[in-house]
Amino acid sequence: MGSYIIRRLSSAVPVMAIVAIIVFLLLHLAPGDPAAIMAGDNPTPEAIAQIRQQLGLAEPLWRQFLLWVVNLTHGDLGQSIVWGEPVTRLIAQRAEPTISLALTTSVFAVPIALVLGIAAAAKAGTAFDRCVMGFAVLDFSIPLFVVGYVLIFLFSIKFKWLPVQGYSPIANGVGPWLRSLTLPTLALGLPYVALIARITRATMLEVLSEDYMRTARAKGVGSARLLLKHALKNAALPIVTVIGMGVGFLIGGAIVTETVFNIPGIGRLVVDGITRRDYPIIQGVTLILSGVYMLVNLLVDLSYALFDPRIRY
Amino acid sequence: MSNLTRRSIMQGGLALAGTIAAPQLALGQNGGGRTITAGGVDLTSYDPVVSTSLLTTYHAAKVYDTLFGLDLQQRPQPQMVSKYELSDDKLTWTFELRDGLKFHDGAAVTSADVIPSIRRWAARSPLGQLMMTHVKDISARDTKIFSIQLKERFGLVLEGLAGSSDGGCFIMRKKEAETDPAQKIDAVIGSGPFKFNLTETKPGAKYVYDRNPDYVPRKEPPSGMAGGKLVKIDRLTYMAMPDAQTAIAAIQAGEIDFYDEPPIDLLEQLSRDKNVKLQVLDQLGQNGLIRFNHLHPPFNNVKCRQAILYIVKQLDYLKAIISNPDYYKTCASSFGCGTSTENDANTGWFRAAPDYTKAKQLLKEGGYDGRPVVLLQATNWSIAKDAAEILADEMRRAGINVRLEPMDWAGVTARRAVKSSPDQGGWNVFTSTAPGFFLGNPLFSYHQANGEKGWFGWASDSKNEELRNRWVLAETVEERREVAREMQENEWNFVPQVLFGRWLQPVVMRVNIKGVQPNTFSWASPVWWNVEKA
Repeated sequence: MGSYIIRRLSSAVPVMAIVAIIVFLLLHLAPGDPAAIMAGDNPTPEAIAQIRQQLGLAEPLWRQFLLWVVNLTHGDLGQSIVWGEPVTRLIAQRAEPTISLALTTSVFAVPIALVLGIAAAAKAGTAFDRCVMGFAVLDFSIPLFVVGYVLIFLFSIKFKWLPVQGYSPIANGVGPWLRSLTLPTLALGLPYVALIARITRATMLEVLSEDYMRTARAKGVGSARLLLKHALKNAALPIVTVIGMGVGFLIGGAIVTETVFNIPGIGRLVVDGITRRDYPIIQGVTLILSGVYMLVNLLVDLSYALFDPRIRY
Repeated sequence: MSNLTRRSIMQGGLALAGTIAAPQLALGQNGGGRTITAGGVDLTSYDPVVSTSLLTTYHAAKVYDTLFGLDLQQRPQPQMVSKYELSDDKLTWTFELRDGLKFHDGAAVTSADVIPSIRRWAARSPLGQLMMTHVKDISARDTKIFSIQLKERFGLVLEGLAGSSDGGCFIMRKKEAETDPAQKIDAVIGSGPFKFNLTETKPGAKYVYDRNPDYVPRKEPPSGMAGGKLVKIDRLTYMAMPDAQTAIAAIQAGEIDFYDEPPIDLLEQLSRDKNVKLQVLDQLGQNGLIRFNHLHPPFNNVKCRQAILYIVKQLDYLKAIISNPDYYKTCASSFGCGTSTENDANTGWFRAAPDYTKAKQLLKEGGYDGRPVVLLQATNWSIAKDAAEILADEMRRAGINVRLEPMDWAGVTARRAVKSSPDQGGWNVFTSTAPGFFLGNPLFSYHQANGEKGWFGWASDSKNEELRNRWVLAETVEERREVAREMQENEWNFVPQVLFGRWLQPVVMRVNIKGVQPNTFSWASPVWWNVEKA
């Protein structure tokens, strides 16, 4: 397994290099000039040219790329054009809210989705099954920001139970931390629930129709044991894969969720970076997120061995 | 280890729910003299010399002080200066700093700080640059007295220092003031009524300002950027909230105290909420702007630009964009309405518009040959986006072959700087807005017509430049008004741009916020001195 992990990690290097090149080129070829944005509302062309010069944006593209790669090898993601602070520091400042949101969303969504998916499969074709699947379709179809606004209206404006916006760091206490994350977690978690519940139901139904399940049933295995031990374990691989792939969904969803709930996380940072053409921030965040995504997928692959003893690395 | 029972799980769940739902002060805490303000825009620079962004100016107005400030009537009033005089030959201004001026690091403000601050400001400010062409020297007589010697008479020294063409000449420490004017300063230490709290600030999310206990306010009542700056709140936090809907919900829930730009279509909803109040701070408002590229056909021909005057019906734009008639008004003056330079010279076209027959005739006379006209459309800014849609429709009705090019505002800001022809990546026209404060000033970029050295669009008109010079040299308000009238007469002939109406943007605040003063210097942000939270 050790050599497999090393091979997978080393194969991540060229992938991330390709990501880096694509992101760099896309950003620099897209219309927009950070110098023009930084210069303010009514700049003169001379002022913009001067800022471009100072930011190094007047250098040829290949030289800018080379400099970025050289700095990258030293662990330096560069300095934000707008704020003038190291990108690593800005990402570190914004990491806690995003990690917290991803964590609470996963903790909320995965168990609920598994229970709903398994129950729907066990009661396939019944009203309960149709309700669960209807709920899943609805959850997946309503845009995240609409869910967010509805939750804010209900729980913050109408009932005044939870805050509209903002993030309270965990250092300020678990209570305020959970309060600040409850609505964002619900908004981001509901489509995630729908995604996992649907795949769980479909996979479970497939497994439940296998011969060995019929045999187990004939041997008198109880339905709970049948579902949780025999069926779920055999259905686990696609479910775990979807949960892993859902990290990509969580990253994308976090951008919207953090904007709607005004959470100063990495999602907001990257949106601000894009609107201002703050190249180092967009490059740095994209690179780190792609690394996280690859790492999660590696963990998913490794987890296969836990569910299927035939898989060996 | 105790057994996990259904009852214990329920008890744990209830305890957790209680913890979550219990009223917490940690989040949205804004009591005890702390005020939270929010806006849709983020602060992109702390340096008011490098960036002319309005938000940077608001930031600077809290942290730094100015030698002079503009009052509500836009007259320069002394601020850091106690005494000042102009010599009999009108060539030497002498200023004395008032007592008790201290930077936030405890050092006294001296002439040695003021002089490089003026020079750095003047390197970037439009009026400062002009002033320096008339200045022979700026020198210190002692630590508190300094003078500006002129080569020739120049009537706008005080207006310049007070920020008639920008946010103002903010006084920095000598160390920062000697920084290259195009280079950002690396420390935010001023002598203003608020101290910038860098430790609590999170760039991109929140910016924190603490009351400066050492600040000595002037005795005069506050008026605009002038008068006594008495800070009555301990801490002011500005939060960047990109989502207006969230900000509105937050102010209704009492999590923030002030929001600077509530969407116009939500004003009715807000006016029904007894916990919040609306107030228009900037009576000069915003003006819709249609800016031409004067370098390329068809708008390098004055007849084609005049044709647009005849197709733009301001009410159509205002109804579509602002919708609430309480907040908009048509305006025919090229200097905006409510400004000291507003006048009605040469506005016959305004009463005639829309007149498509006249527009088609002018386009024909201007030699328009049906080539595509590239109209830049900022899709992430609703005002500019909607205005571009309406303009495109009007232009098509006049027979212009319009090509709308959608992009985000960042894309427009980059594209509008391109001087090549529209088929080579350039452009013909874009829509934007112009604050009344700036539009009312003949020196500001909208009124430049000095060709490729000027603002985007690169309008060129020698008579305009001659009149702008006359405005600078005018010594009385009446004289300036007369020159402004002549400028407008000329501007609506050569048409550097077309305006699509004027509107006022109210701010929204909790009812317990008292003492918010109107001002003309800014768009929607109040000056935070004299504001208190009941």
